Amino acid sequence: MVGRRDQPHPCSALLDSPYCKRFVSTNRHSQPMPIVEAQGLRKRYPLPERKGEFFNAVDGVSLAIEAGEIFGLLGPNGAGKTTTLEMLEGLTDIDEGSAFIAGLDVAREPYKVKRLIGVQLQANEYFDHLTVEELLKLFYGLYGRREDPRALLERVNLLDKAKAKPARLSGGQKQRFSIACALVNTPQVLFLDEPTTGLDPQAKRRLWELVRELNRGGMTIVLTTHNMEEAEFLCDRLAIMDKGRIIAAGTPLELIERHAPEPPVRPAHGNLEDVFLRLTGHELRE
Amino acid sequence: MNQTLLMARTFLRIFSRDRQAIFFSLFFPLIFMSVFGFVGRAESEPTAIGLSDEARNELSAEFIAALEANPLFRITQGEEAELREQVISGDLTLLLVIPADFHDTAASSELRVVVDASQVRELGLLMPVLEQALVEVERDLRGLEPLFTLTVEDVQARAQNYLAFLVPGMLAFTVMQISIAGSGYNIVEYRRKGILKRLFVTPLEPSSFIGGLVLSRATVCLIQLSLLLLYALFVLKVPLAGSLALLYLVIILGTSMFLSLGFCLGSLAKTQQAIMALGNLVTFPQMFLSGIFYPIDILPDWIQPLAQLLPLSFLADALRGIVVDAATLTTLGPELLGLLVWTALFLLASIRMFVWKEVAA
Repeated sequence: MVGRRDQPHPCSALLDSPYCKRFVSTNRHSQPMPIVEAQGLRKRYPLPERKGEFFNAVDGVSLAIEAGEIFGLLGPNGAGKTTTLEMLEGLTDIDEGSAFIAGLDVAREPYKVKRLIGVQLQANEYFDHLTVEELLKLFYGLYGRREDPRALLERVNLLDKAKAKPARLSGGQKQRFSIACALVNTPQVLFLDEPTTGLDPQAKRRLWELVRELNRGGMTIVLTTHNMEEAEFLCDRLAIMDKGRIIAAGTPLELIERHAPEPPVRPAHGNLEDVFLRLTGHELRE
Repeated sequence: MNQTLLMARTFLRIFSRDRQAIFFSLFFPLIFMSVFGFVGRAESEPTAIGLSDEARNELSAEFIAALEANPLFRITQGEEAELREQVISGDLTLLLVIPADFHDTAASSELRVVVDASQVRELGLLMPVLEQALVEVERDLRGLEPLFTLTVEDVQARAQNYLAFLVPGMLAFTVMQISIAGSGYNIVEYRRKGILKRLFVTPLEPSSFIGGLVLSRATVCLIQLSLLLLYALFVLKVPLAGSLALLYLVIILGTSMFLSLGFCLGSLAKTQQAIMALGNLVTFPQMFLSGIFYPIDILPDWIQPLAQLLPLSFLADALRGIVVDAATLTTLGPELLGLLVWTALFLLASIRMFVWKEVAA
């Protein structure tokens, strides 16, 4: 048991990679009040198979996210991640409990909250017949801003697609465009719902870089994922959800030490993704 | 207000780029008006009559001349057998056979009329005219003066023909189609694609969204109807008896009525298929019951009072009143009241049914 600390941690391969992030401080900015706070959130939906009966899609979720964190909600499909996010965003009514963003009650002042947050939804379809540039202008306009979308497109590496229709973009480009739309109001908190689902490894890594770059600029990021690797790469802290409840929370390291203390034999080689990336290269394919 | 205008501008840009939708929304009413414009003219053409003259004498020639002088007929002479074929094929409405014993003796002779009995309606109109022609020839022969004469004076009150009836109906029908599709169908599509959800995580107010959609749809609707109206007035030469301003007022009223109805349907339907079905359920009966293609008077008696109360009936009646009878704001009272009541009902219903959170979800 004692010798275990001398063994390299299974995460060491990740820690050595250029995408590594140190999972150290949980409260780097040490602010007194969390920027996102939820107490006992509950959401009831009627059971589709039995009439008149309900189930709790979200069943008493409490969390506190500090400014400047990347916070991950992990869990299998149907765990209640998206519903939790939508309650925090003011998109879905909160049946029970409360949610605050930067001290504002989401249920009482949804419009003030909406000005502070950026949201990337799982579905990212847009109006037909409008170009990427026109859509961004529309989103700027909805926040009462009149800005040139090209700077933002440059930032998410889509400048050459300014005149394209979103339907013509590749998966990775679509996700980056969708994040660009969420950035028009330079939000304090950015919500990303499964941002890398369905992306190829190159596009996935490019998106991770973008997320971390935004975070370095001071943006708080809340994301959902069911990709453990993504959670380890990106998140300062995680909450694991199942059946509407948070079943574990902490930094990735804390969670690993608490729930999987016995490390497996050190892998003698990288994983299949390393092979894939070595063979196909790191540059984006779009 | 800024957001409303922003959304209206955005929707206008989207609609103006949807070439297919523009094409079909104009194509259907244009084709209908053109086809019936053509049919309407064909109706005033003389009736084709076949004539087989077996007598070939002075009297029969006189009789034929009398018929030919009548503008209602176009006479084709020939052998009976050959003309019979043309009656069967529908080229001739009827065939009149003048018997060999058709001469000026005291004995009366019998003319045979060969018809396709399915053309009953036409026969009812033609037989008296034929008999009249015979009577005139007879009078002529016997040197009788007619006891009564009838002269017809056209008051030219209105140029009522089928086209003048159809055009206002088509305008009303187009208002309904464009408006219901514009609000209801779009809402369902935007919801299904998650676009509504995406818009409502921004500070966009639902009222601005709806306001923008209504404003843009009303604009599109007015442009499309203006095109149809131009076509009707200048190409089909349908005369406009009443005021153009009043016509537009009624069109705007009709547009708001059907846009509200569209929002109701869009709130009810969850899928694209459902909205199509609902839309058809609402538009089809009105298409046939609201006096678009034929007057409500020819419907069964029991259904007429109900048909009169349909939203499209009020719109079609009002538009027809203006185009054909030069109706004014005061004479259009009942129709305008009907339009306003329906608009208020649909508006209230759409506000009640339009649950914002659900729209986003």
